[in-house]
Amino acid sequence: MKTTLPEWIDPAPWLAREYRVVDVEHAIGTESPDESTLAALLSPAAAEFLEPMAARAQAITRRHFGQTIQLYIPLYLSSYCSNGCAYCGFASDRHTDRHTLPFDAVEKELDSIKTMGFEEILLLTGERSSRADIDYLRTCVRLAADRFHTVAIEVFPMEQDEYHMLAEAGCVSVTMYQETYDPEPYDRMHRWGPKKDFFNRLDAPARALAGGLRFAGLGALLGLADPYHDMIALYRHTRHLQKTYWQAGVSLSFPRIRHEAGGFTAPHPVDEKMLAQIIFAFRICLPDVPLTLSTREGAPFRDGIAGIGINKMSIASRTTVGGYSGNAPEEGQFDINDGRSLETFQAMLHGKNLEPVFKNWEKLYRLTA
Amino acid sequence: MNDELLKLGSHTFGSRLILGTGKFSDTETMIRAVEASGTELVTVALRRFNRDKPNDDLCAPLAKLSAVRLMPNTSGAINAKEAVRAAQLGRELSGSPFVKVEIHPNPHHLMPDPVETYFAAKELAADGFLVLPYIPADPVLAKKLEDVGCAAVMPLGAAIGSGGGLSTLEMIKLIIRDSNIPVIVDAGLRAPSEAACAMEMGCAAVLVNSAIAAAQDPVAMAEAFALGVQTGFEARQAGLMLQSEFAVATSPLTSFLS
Repeated sequence: MKTTLPEWIDPAPWLAREYRVVDVEHAIGTESPDESTLAALLSPAAAEFLEPMAARAQAITRRHFGQTIQLYIPLYLSSYCSNGCAYCGFASDRHTDRHTLPFDAVEKELDSIKTMGFEEILLLTGERSSRADIDYLRTCVRLAADRFHTVAIEVFPMEQDEYHMLAEAGCVSVTMYQETYDPEPYDRMHRWGPKKDFFNRLDAPARALAGGLRFAGLGALLGLADPYHDMIALYRHTRHLQKTYWQAGVSLSFPRIRHEAGGFTAPHPVDEKMLAQIIFAFRICLPDVPLTLSTREGAPFRDGIAGIGINKMSIASRTTVGGYSGNAPEEGQFDINDGRSLETFQAMLHGKNLEPVFKNWEKLYRLTA
Repeated sequence: MNDELLKLGSHTFGSRLILGTGKFSDTETMIRAVEASGTELVTVALRRFNRDKPNDDLCAPLAKLSAVRLMPNTSGAINAKEAVRAAQLGRELSGSPFVKVEIHPNPHHLMPDPVETYFAAKELAADGFLVLPYIPADPVLAKKLEDVGCAAVMPLGAAIGSGGGLSTLEMIKLIIRDSNIPVIVDAGLRAPSEAACAMEMGCAAVLVNSAIAAAQDPVAMAEAFALGVQTGFEARQAGLMLQSEFAVATSPLTSFLS
């Protein structure tokens, strides 16, 4: 098995350098950020500069996204999975009740969510299975596209023609976290299943964009491997996609392992200060890239970082299959640490002088509108 | 003819400040900024029209302002075909004859696509729209858009949201010099002094969004921009003193010629 990263994404040259206070000061103020800027801002030397980093991140966020926070909501369609991700509540060796929503239940869930007011929905499944295959997904995308302007998926890696089919059905965005960009821990954490193929996953966002999707969301699951390695590789992945697919919109998320089902302990835990440092660093280095934060994080952290780097958030999320219209199982894919209602969350945003934005894209711009 | 008024097609406007409406912290602040600016024309992205959810809709609250006309924009469209469809839906929903053609295929730097913008503007102008295209500061493109019947051209001062000011100054001067339709600087302005500068150069109007929405006090900044635009316009009308890079020598160098 190939275990070295290709040159275009390998973070090694930046990991080998040491960054001093003077490098951090320069990085905070630079007008032309690059890999070195990010590496300096992620370095231990930058940990003492969180306040100036936050100030710069906030100014940049305001300039590019205004006083707004975009809102979206996830919908878990199926919890069947054949993968053995060591950290996941839906891994195939977990003894959890498995469900796939039948289409009438999907419609019910979509209607419940629509009533809440959302216009951007993220559809999720586990690994490809006979219960949740491309045809199932295509139908779900159609049902969602009938109701929502923006339909995104976070599912298994597919081929370009399959992504094209989903784009024709009304899907515009794909989220595909690499989990870790380091092939060795990747191989260890993904114990079995199709997800073991590191490079197939790495190239999936590019296939999706080539297939006609417009937006790709990237991320690494913080805690699995060395965050310096993963975050610099994430930056390089982003820049690579932006240069290759110049019409594509790339966004980034910063999921962090907390307490997953199955008692998994993160080998490289990332605390809140480090997470904030990462988000500020990315905002400074990628000023116009949307940065997303889910309800994996707790309310105090989310409230604090809204508008200071983060410009897109989910809320009122359920990570269980069938969670929005009742009768859902208790165990979700991960624990939700911000369980507030949409109304409470909106009130918080308004209190911070931030406008929640539900509709920020128009179905008219779909591939086959 | 009244030189005080901005003319777009057969419509006239007392204010030469056009406002963008995204990026505000809430609808009330946006409305107050619009009112404080004295603007009579605002642009709203079709993607921010939301008939299903009134408190997420930017169109309805602006449509209530009797002093202000709406100009839907096609932001989010990545080619002419999408922009044309968006313009048609925008006209249907707003009843406005104006459209700001805004096509930026790259969602990060948001630079306008000159080729697709040209084709969309041509089609929409033929369809009876009053077309105001958002364009790179390109003097040749500006003339071509005038030729296909646009009501104005809107070259960028700098990238959207950048606050880069009038970084395309020299190109905008060329556009103004040769244009028979209003030239409106759109995007990049950060300070009212830059708006004044654009008006002194001969721009017919300026369009501002981020500089007001992301200011510490958006309402006060809206008013400041109104003053900046008015100052620049009056200065232009008054006729600026000619600039010379040479001081006039007290003992003329050419005195030997007499």
